[in-house]
Amino acid sequence: MERKIPLPMLILAILGFCYLLFPILVVVLAGLTTGEFLTFPPKGLSLRWVISFLNSEKYLSAFFFSFKLALMTMIVSTILGTAVALFIARSRFVGRTALRAFFLSPVVLPGVVVGFALYAFFITSGLGISRTIWGLWIGHILYSTPYVIGTVGASLATFDVSLEEAARSLGASPMRAFRKITFPNIAQGIQAGSIFAFIVSFGQFEVSLFLSAPNSEPLPIAMYNSLRYKFEPDAAAAGIFAITLVIASVLLTNRLVNIRRLLERQDG
Amino acid sequence: MVYVEFSTISKHFGTSVAVADLDLQIEQGEFFSLLGPSGCGKSTTLRMLAGFVKPTTGQIRVNGRNVTALPPEARDIGIVFQNYAIFPHMTVFDNIAFGLVERKLPRAEIKQKVDAALAEVGMTGFEDRYERELSGGQKQRVALARVLVIEPEILLLDEPLSALDKKMREEMKYWIKNIQKSVGITTIYVTHDQSEALTMSDRIAVMDQGRVLQIGTPVEIYEQPASRFIAEFIGESNLLDGTALDVHGAVCSIDIDGTTVTGRLTQNNAAIKGQAVTLLVRPEMIRLHSLDASEKPKLNGTVREIIYQGSVVRYRIQIGHQHVMVEVANRPDLARLDLDDDVEVYWNADSGVAIP
Ligand SMILES: Nc1ncnc2c1ncn2[C@@H]1O[C@H](COP(=O)(O)OP(=O)(O)OP(=O)(O)O)[C@@H](O)[C@H]1O
Ligand SMILES: [Mg+2]
Repeated sequence: MERKIPLPMLILAILGFCYLLFPILVVVLAGLTTGEFLTFPPKGLSLRWVISFLNSEKYLSAFFFSFKLALMTMIVSTILGTAVALFIARSRFVGRTALRAFFLSPVVLPGVVVGFALYAFFITSGLGISRTIWGLWIGHILYSTPYVIGTVGASLATFDVSLEEAARSLGASPMRAFRKITFPNIAQGIQAGSIFAFIVSFGQFEVSLFLSAPNSEPLPIAMYNSLRYKFEPDAAAAGIFAITLVIASVLLTNRLVNIRRLLERQDG
Repeated sequence: MVYVEFSTISKHFGTSVAVADLDLQIEQGEFFSLLGPSGCGKSTTLRMLAGFVKPTTGQIRVNGRNVTALPPEARDIGIVFQNYAIFPHMTVFDNIAFGLVERKLPRAEIKQKVDAALAEVGMTGFEDRYERELSGGQKQRVALARVLVIEPEILLLDEPLSALDKKMREEMKYWIKNIQKSVGITTIYVTHDQSEALTMSDRIAVMDQGRVLQIGTPVEIYEQPASRFIAEFIGESNLLDGTALDVHGAVCSIDIDGTTVTGRLTQNNAAIKGQAVTLLVRPEMIRLHSLDASEKPKLNGTVREIIYQGSVVRYRIQIGHQHVMVEVANRPDLARLDLDDDVEVYWNADSGVAIP
């Protein structure tokens, strides 16, 4: 077989893969240990801690809480981020680049700052949402939306506006032109953005630390709290489930988008 | 009958002026071209008519109706873009059906109309293809079919040939013109290619820097350009500097390096007497061998360069300190000249145009 990339690049790529896969390997193997403590390499392999996770009220509820939160965050972030990306891409005014930078800023701000700022605001404003799921949701949306803006913005940059103009000229209202022409062509970017939003929210720690309620903790907070006191492998077992969920959600959205495309082609 | 009318239309982008005080009147069924160099405001003019750009001032009327404030979907105008803008996620069939679906026509009628449109542009059998499976010329045909199928009032074409190779361009030029003629649709064609404009148009508006410089038939634009800029932009020109001696009606006698020649004035302008003028003579209008002794004027020159092009031979002739290009048909009855030959340069008195 013909090699498509130069050898040094190939070596770097393989190193990169190993580097990225190593933590996942650590989590998976540590979660499958037979021993009493979180160690690497594991002492023998068993499903002991996986079963322990499945029986643990604390971890299971945290897992599903995170899942629900990530889903809610994904929905709002996707809609909001797409709208903002469209606005930035389509309007022509001075300070457009500044606006883009402004919208992307939560990504570069440390999560601790965002979390604390929101916490302080919720407390002092008396909105009554500090340390509730609503406040947490707002924090996660704030943190996830820039990823959607980024990916949708990128797909809009390669989208040819004359496609939309052609549709308008053929009789489509702005809304119809968006739905039938623009949306299908930026769907990949929206899809990527929504996966990002889901994953970012699911793994979010710093913002959650400030905003989550004591009785309903997202998975990363639950793990952190439990690992502070005892170094038990069920945290790693929970990690296995988290990794599985993320991979499954990526595969599933891919599949869903393909199905939608197929349907679209059939209804002429 | 005036069908499309621009009245004092202008468009400013911030401080830059893309189109300034444009007045145009386009007849029903006419093939009208906007011709000019890059950035002169052709596309902006077209896009204002299509409804994508809002004019800063002025009014656009189509068929007596003021459309200036209407959105594109309410205008009944078909536009073909430079890159064709074929919807990449739809088949050729769905692309062409798009406008009909938006008009909520029954399925059977849509099918019948799309089939007819495909046949008209010679694309029958391509219904199920996607944009990425089409060549440039085929995309062009699909783009045109998609627009013609909705039977719009006006057809707009923005440099539709510029993405094609030279051979395809020649072919599509006649093809588009023929379709336009058979459909009889009022068409506005934007191009920076003078040969396209000359071949296809009923009338041409030559634009520069947001303004219309001259409007006329291809013959008028080519043979009576109103300014030096137009003469240089359209076709190839020999421009000789001289001084206007005398003006009789539309004829002006001009002194060029001591020889008196005559040129037609494009507009009656007695005031140029005694002033510097430019004489325009097209290369193919010049003869190097007098066939008729009465032919005037006569200038003496020397052959400085010979360019053999098969069907024609081109000579660069030095006359005093100026040069002219001469294009001569490659025929056995016209003797070939050699470098540094001294020649006599003639042209029909009507072929010289005096430009103030
Ligand atoms: N959306 C816009 N914002 C700012 N300036 C613009 C915009 N559209 C066009 N212009 C400017 O207006 C002028 C005319 O542009 P236009 O596209 O009409 O030129 P054109 O004659 O079609 O040129 P070309 O042959 O290169 O397509 C140019 O100077 C261009 O930079
Ligand atoms: Mg243009």
